Amino acid sequence: MDAFTHLLDGFGTALTPAHLAFAAIGVILGTAIGVLPGIGPAMAVALLLPVTYGLDSTAAFIMFAGIYYGGMFGGSTTSILLNTPGESAAVVTAIEGNPMARSGRGPQALAAAAIGHFVGGMVGTTALVLLAPAVASVAVDIGAPDYFAIMVLAFVAVTSVLGASRLRGLASLLLGLTLGLVGLDQMTGQSRLTFGTLHLSDGIDVVLVAVGLFAVGEALWVAAHLRHGGSSPIPVGRPWLSRDDLRRTWKPWLRGPLIGFPFGAVPAGGAEIPTFLSYATEKRLSKHRDEFGKGAIEGVAGPESTASASAAGTMVTMLTLGLPTTAVAAVMLAAFQQYGIQPGPLLFQRETDLVWGLIASLFVGTVLLLLINLPLAPVWAKLLRIPRPYLYGGILFFASVGAYAVGGDPVDLVVLLLIGLLGFAMRRFGLPVLPAILGVILGPGAELQMRRALQISDGSLTGLVNSPLAVAVYAVVAVLLAWPLARRLVRAARR
Amino acid sequence: MSEMTHGHGHEHGHEHGDRTPVRRSELGLCAFLLVLGGLVCVDALRIPDDFTRRGPVGPEAVPMLVGGLLVLVSVLLAVDVLRGGRGQAEAGEDIDPDTPADWRTVAMLLAAFLANVALIGPLGFPIAMAVLFWGSVYALGSRDMVRDPLLAAGLSLLTWFVFDRLLGVPLPGGPLMGVL
Amino acid sequence: MRQPRAWLAALGAALLVTCVPPLVSGGDDRTTGTAIPGLRVLVPNAPGGGYDLTARTAVKAMEEAGLSKNIEVFNLPGAGGTVGLGRIVGERGNGRLAMSMGLGVVGSVHTNRSPSTLADTTPVARLIEESDIVVVGKNSPYRTIQDLIRAWSARPRSVPVGGGSSPGGPDHLAPMLMARAAGVPPRQVNYVPFDGGGELTASILGGKVGFGMTGVGETRDQIAAGELRPLAVTGARRVPGIDAPTLKEAGLNVEFTNWRGIVAPPGLSDRDRDRMVALWTELQRTEQWQKALRDNGWTPAFLPGDRFRAFIAAENGRVASVLKELGLA
Repeated sequence: MDAFTHLLDGFGTALTPAHLAFAAIGVILGTAIGVLPGIGPAMAVALLLPVTYGLDSTAAFIMFAGIYYGGMFGGSTTSILLNTPGESAAVVTAIEGNPMARSGRGPQALAAAAIGHFVGGMVGTTALVLLAPAVASVAVDIGAPDYFAIMVLAFVAVTSVLGASRLRGLASLLLGLTLGLVGLDQMTGQSRLTFGTLHLSDGIDVVLVAVGLFAVGEALWVAAHLRHGGSSPIPVGRPWLSRDDLRRTWKPWLRGPLIGFPFGAVPAGGAEIPTFLSYATEKRLSKHRDEFGKGAIEGVAGPESTASASAAGTMVTMLTLGLPTTAVAAVMLAAFQQYGIQPGPLLFQRETDLVWGLIASLFVGTVLLLLINLPLAPVWAKLLRIPRPYLYGGILFFASVGAYAVGGDPVDLVVLLLIGLLGFAMRRFGLPVLPAILGVILGPGAELQMRRALQISDGSLTGLVNSPLAVAVYAVVAVLLAWPLARRLVRAARR
Repeated sequence: MSEMTHGHGHEHGHEHGDRTPVRRSELGLCAFLLVLGGLVCVDALRIPDDFTRRGPVGPEAVPMLVGGLLVLVSVLLAVDVLRGGRGQAEAGEDIDPDTPADWRTVAMLLAAFLANVALIGPLGFPIAMAVLFWGSVYALGSRDMVRDPLLAAGLSLLTWFVFDRLLGVPLPGGPLMGVL
Repeated sequence: MRQPRAWLAALGAALLVTCVPPLVSGGDDRTTGTAIPGLRVLVPNAPGGGYDLTARTAVKAMEEAGLSKNIEVFNLPGAGGTVGLGRIVGERGNGRLAMSMGLGVVGSVHTNRSPSTLADTTPVARLIEESDIVVVGKNSPYRTIQDLIRAWSARPRSVPVGGGSSPGGPDHLAPMLMARAAGVPPRQVNYVPFDGGGELTASILGGKVGFGMTGVGETRDQIAAGELRPLAVTGARRVPGIDAPTLKEAGLNVEFTNWRGIVAPPGLSDRDRDRMVALWTELQRTEQWQKALRDNGWTPAFLPGDRFRAFIAAENGRVASVLKELGLA
């Protein structure tokens, strides 16, 4: 076991007191900055880059790893407590996490997220050690037709989130798709629905949409129908996961990496689609399906574990191929170059100590993250005890900071408000919010991959099905679509 | 999937009471979707087609599909509403959907938000954000005239300090920057 | 009545938010040597992108060499850099602001129909350049640039070319110029844009596109590992460490390099302008910058002030002619 001995050496590097301290600083800084509105993990790493100037490369990368994992986790804390996702991988977490926090199960939601992150990170990083070369060689064989097929599968798999009324769910999905259309068309550079402003030409960020629909829409809706009198402060409840919680969460924790890791490792994967798929899967498999939408703990545990494992998957492609598959990976690649290190196929041979030290510190960072954040969960959850006006005023403040800070442009605030008003109207008319988010995430990617596939084949429709993986995925889609029909036929035949 | 019935929200509708205004606003939603669908289609038709293109699917195809579906859904939804279907307004811990909407609070909240949009350029982040926070807690019913403004100022300053000074994310400091 | 206390609180709050920010940010305003106090560098794309890397590397070198202190780098991404360009043009006369930019912004101004153009700015200096490279996967049937050109000229539409920039960007312009030189009508070129380097390199490795054109730096390691085969470089000279001819040597009359530089807002006083140019000129002499150039594999291409202005104008003409032909400008 070559990898194993290298990993042991790596632990030797990562566990020296100095490196351990850098990992801890990285995790704490990353979590703290990840909690700030508008600053996702990529910004966090970029902003903290100067902190590492003067450190040797191994120490610097150990710290980056901590910042990355910490930043990924910080985003979900605000998602659960304030309904304002800090980054796109944490959007799904808000759907069950925030209702849990509102009903006094905030500590449990945060703990489920923290342990989910831990499990996802551990399994994902182990997969990184064992599978990196194999995964990397498979990753480059996946092309546009395969991505499109996978996105079709994702669309079909998550129709179950459309909600009680199919028609209203569809309307919501279409609203999301419309928001996703805004911006320059990536294939031809033509502007769509930008109304002549350059500010809309990069499209509307999915985090802005989520914060607008979730947080601003909610604040306005609460303002319109505030329950007057007798609204007691939100209870904080017991601080730890009960036996029942554990029974419900251990499977989602373990299923997360199965979905998240492969998506993280392929060049166009990311964390958004797998977290959605994880949510849909957990909803389908749960014995407590009626609790979904009102605070089902599986809906926090699964997506969080998935997001964390997808981060580990991202490291595979970055370290073995030198390909950045997410914005964070792009920033880290840039950081590698600052140290005169070129990630790529030769990295493992050239920089053996650094790479294995980095991988070992991913394990260390994951453990530290759990040790630091699990005791903090009840503390964070107390935040919700502040009186309602301050809570919702704070949410609006927080959401506005996030929308404004990055671009420094009041136009973003106007966009946030308009999306907030849309969220208000959707609550008023019973349109579920989730399909809209799904449309924003999946729509642009699906269109891009479909058109790219068709362009590569110079317009021939066979370009969509000329790979075995795509065909296999379409077969799964067909089975999924035919399954309810077949079941009904079988039942009818039995009668 | 199979157990769901197709889109008639009959079970949600209130049987009695102010039927007509509710129905009117539901039809307003349909009108909104219809107009939006039309807008998306018109915008797609506006895309010039004299540039080099590849394949059967151009930049206008998906918008046309989405816009067309929006129009279709708006019509189906209108039919559903006229048959008595009704959306279920979202309830929650802090929300009592049975009370009539309190538009005054919403208007105050919007005013606080828009004041922030208007002020953040000329007066800077700390002032505008303090106005937003104080305005929204006032709108939502807090009347502590001593604690609220000071809390707003403190929160706003702290945020500005962390972003601008510690992290180097530039935020406008206000009219006195460079004067004092 | 608590009225007076309420007024006091409101007054106190107002004083706090107006006076504290200027007080805590009082920096030293002394101008010594090359330093420009309070200098901020705008990066018009996201963290991790090319302009970001250039700006942060240069600023780091400046600070370490003691040329200027506390330089702030910030990102304002959007519309291929034209959102940032709009900001720069709007900050007329501000001698403490600079923007990192490059060839991509020249194209974006056309494709986005940006109201502000680079002619509105004060060009400070071109810093670096990088040749583009024509690469194929190791299993590709094309072994030389001639093989590729032959196949491409015969059936341009069925040899898709992948690039890492959206239409109007450097990786889009490079194959168009190469096509012109090879006698392939640019409108026939099947250019497939990818989002940044990651997806593109994977597509070339996996043989999803006929060939790829992108920056040398993004492919260097893959070439060293034998995963990618370089067919030609687009610049005037061969690139050290890469075994491939220039397009000129291969008989195609075209020369193309991607470049990055610095511009400042319009309407600067002569003093401000000279100081800005002096700072970036001084940067070239520092050991730290020279080391950064080597580490990143960048080719120095320093061109200050008015000569940079003339260069931008020439590039603009070339880009405009290609994009006009494609119907994109």
